[in-house]
Amino acid sequence: MTSSTAAVLQARGLTKSFPGVRALDRADLTCRSGRVHALVGENGAGKSTLVRILTGNQLPDEGEVLLDGRSVRFADPREAMAEGVSAVYQELTVLPAMSVGDNVMLGQERTSRGLIDRAAQDREVRAALARVGLGDLDPRTRAEDLSLANQQMVEIARALVRRSRVIVLDEPSAVLSGDKLESLFTVVRGLAADGVAIVYISHLLEEVTDLADDVTVLRDGRVVSTGPAGDYDVPRIIRDMVGRDVDAVFPPLPEPADEVVLAVRGLVPVSSTRSPVALDLDVRAGEIVGVAGMVGSGRSRLLRTIAGEHPRAAGTVEVAGRPVPTGTRRAIAAGVALVPEERKTEGLVLPLSVRANTTLAALGQVLRGGFLSTRRERVVFQEEQARLGIKASDPEQGTWQLSGGNQQKIVLAKWLRRGPRVLLLDEPTRGVDVGAKSEIYRLVTGLAVEGMAVVMVSSDLPEVLGLSHRVLVCRGGGVVGELAGDDINEENVMHVALDTAGTSR
Amino acid sequence: MSAAVAAGTRPRRISLADLTRTGAAVWIVLLAAVLALTVADAGGFWAPANIANVLTATVVLGLAALGQHLVVLSGGIDLSIGSAATLSALLTALLINGYPIRTAPVVIGMLLLGGLIGVLHGLLVARVGLPPFIVTLATLYLIQGAAFTISTTPTGRVTSALSAVALERIGPVPYSFAVLVLAVAVVAFVLARTAFGRQLYAVGGDPAAARANGVPVARVLVTAYVLAGVLAALAGVLLAARATVGSPTAGLGLELSTITVVVLGGTSLLGGRGSLVGTLGGVLLLSLVSSSVTLLQLPATLTDLIRGVVILAAAAIFVTRARR
Ligand SMILES: Nc1ncnc2c1ncn2[C@@H]1O[C@H](COP(=O)(O)OP(=O)(O)OP(=O)(O)O)[C@@H](O)[C@H]1O
Ligand SMILES: [Mg+2]
Repeated sequence: MTSSTAAVLQARGLTKSFPGVRALDRADLTCRSGRVHALVGENGAGKSTLVRILTGNQLPDEGEVLLDGRSVRFADPREAMAEGVSAVYQELTVLPAMSVGDNVMLGQERTSRGLIDRAAQDREVRAALARVGLGDLDPRTRAEDLSLANQQMVEIARALVRRSRVIVLDEPSAVLSGDKLESLFTVVRGLAADGVAIVYISHLLEEVTDLADDVTVLRDGRVVSTGPAGDYDVPRIIRDMVGRDVDAVFPPLPEPADEVVLAVRGLVPVSSTRSPVALDLDVRAGEIVGVAGMVGSGRSRLLRTIAGEHPRAAGTVEVAGRPVPTGTRRAIAAGVALVPEERKTEGLVLPLSVRANTTLAALGQVLRGGFLSTRRERVVFQEEQARLGIKASDPEQGTWQLSGGNQQKIVLAKWLRRGPRVLLLDEPTRGVDVGAKSEIYRLVTGLAVEGMAVVMVSSDLPEVLGLSHRVLVCRGGGVVGELAGDDINEENVMHVALDTAGTSR
Repeated sequence: MSAAVAAGTRPRRISLADLTRTGAAVWIVLLAAVLALTVADAGGFWAPANIANVLTATVVLGLAALGQHLVVLSGGIDLSIGSAATLSALLTALLINGYPIRTAPVVIGMLLLGGLIGVLHGLLVARVGLPPFIVTLATLYLIQGAAFTISTTPTGRVTSALSAVALERIGPVPYSFAVLVLAVAVVAFVLARTAFGRQLYAVGGDPAAARANGVPVARVLVTAYVLAGVLAALAGVLLAARATVGSPTAGLGLELSTITVVVLGGTSLLGGRGSLVGTLGGVLLLSLVSSSVTLLQLPATLTDLIRGVVILAAAAIFVTRARR
């Protein structure tokens, strides 16, 4: 047993309330050096709140944090970092206008006599990038030119140059897949081997059981159970998280109707690289088409092109026989709704209330004599809250205050209010907990039953496999394969996605 | 069809956005303006006296704009730059009042005063959390009011040595231009080679992210406003030197001119993005516009109209548009 290593960081009886919610309720957590401690719980369980307290972003109402057994009170992340406690946050904190190198060294600039020691920084940046699998990335690249996944790897590289003793990773894997995910695991295991204490938060429970030495389950701000990972398997974690058994199986798929709702012909997105293959696609009412592929394979751009948000180099899109022009507003009017991948910047107006965000795309429904009726808006919000299980204390709560997964549900609610004919989903369950995931699955199949045509991009392969009538596979900016019926399985998808048949890229 | 475009290699196209980002855009406009003026009146435009006029105009504007550039990068704005320069100009002339021995201590005192104003701004913005627009709008009036309380008419007198700095020149280059060059070098160096410089972009781009990564946000903000205050005070000293007396309206409108050139240079008013090269191009362009009105013997009343047109035209073509 190695569990006897001394506790580096301990949370004792942490309590934190916000108006209307108790985000943390006498929560305890013990992190030991060299061990990976998984922290799991539903959306809004209080995981990120705990992280923010441990790293000095927020102060607890009650309780204390112990570092090497001595009580500390971090009022600023800077103080926590000085004591060797740092975090990779759930929301990206990469500065888009800055170079990758400057981003990695941000707040940790190496100086000699007041001046930045460029050689030393460059060495360190390159070493950190190599460790997260971005060895051939030029540190002078601007961060905004990177994919979301690579930006996330830059966040992780930051954690490496800080030489922390405790590193908290809040859903680091949410935007990663494939080899990026592998690099992350390698980094985490390497850090643990170096004696760093790791707190690891994720909704992907297989990942958690793989990686963790210890597990703590939070529910409604309270610690439900904690112990060595050996005592936990996925069903137990789910039971502890949700308080009941959740059947993770996918609901049965409805039989699609004959009517073609979405017809795409020869569609090619405008692209800076060479032109991808043109897309022809028919989606019938009640049909769900999954889109698989590695991160960066052009899936999101394809969806955005169908939705008219990304310019088309060629091709047409028709909904129920009517052409869908480019331009987001006109596509929306034609009955296409896109639930985007990046909710912080594209899906939500964070400073507005959850009520206002929910009704934003369908304000016509909440007018009364030509003016907005707050009362109607509240009713609409409460309907969606019940339908999607949104955890918010009040319709007037600021959207920025919601936990990550609940924000995702608001985005979904907003587009559903318009009653679209075609629903385009980009990573609909990213950062969403198991319970809510199966709710979303039921919801999507329910919408299909009602006659909606659904196209869903997801990096969660089981989700694509279990929820789709047909699966399109993307590579190099275009669709390169289609699987249907019994051909839909993980192996086939990976074959096409990775081009293991050996044809040229 | 170029060879690079074929064969799958990614062609490196230079876009309008790149030009704006690097600040090159405004220099292209500047070049066009110079060409136009050369065609219109080559002899007059390239005459050493005229070039000296343009360069003299860049000094005060340039110093103040450097400060504005730093504050705008931090995500703020400094509306008090004009009145800070005014107060500094007025006090410089009043306190020196013709005594050479007072020159050095008074100039140093002015720079300290500017720094102090900056500390006040920084603390109100960073510690109290007031919006920079409100804070500096208030101090714009406070400082201007202080200047008018001291004197409502031009007063005092600088020493001939100080006015020589502003008025004498070697060929087409005024002595005071060296002050600007020095200040530009210092600011460029600070931005490129110090931790403060890096952190300034981060604080302006996303203060919450900067804080989460251990950037001392308050210290960075205070430093930016202090530098802006010192530079505004230095601009004031040179205003006094140029006028030889201190006027309570010396720096009138300077804050708007500095914002103009910073924006022309492609710096985002939202903070976190911008290039010093662009701001300097903006300074030259605006100075050129003002002095050309005189050169081409257009009525002086046209100056503002021409400015407005230039800003609008440049903004329409070049100012960083919101990304997709
Ligand atoms: N600043 C805030 N103001 C008000 N309420 C807040 C604030 N921050 C968090 N909350 C609330 O506290 C609760 C816990 O949120 P937290 O972000 O810790 O959840 P989480 O476990 O990280 O969830 P997720 O898995 O969705 O990220 C939520 O109900 C959330 O709405
Ligand atoms: Mg969270």
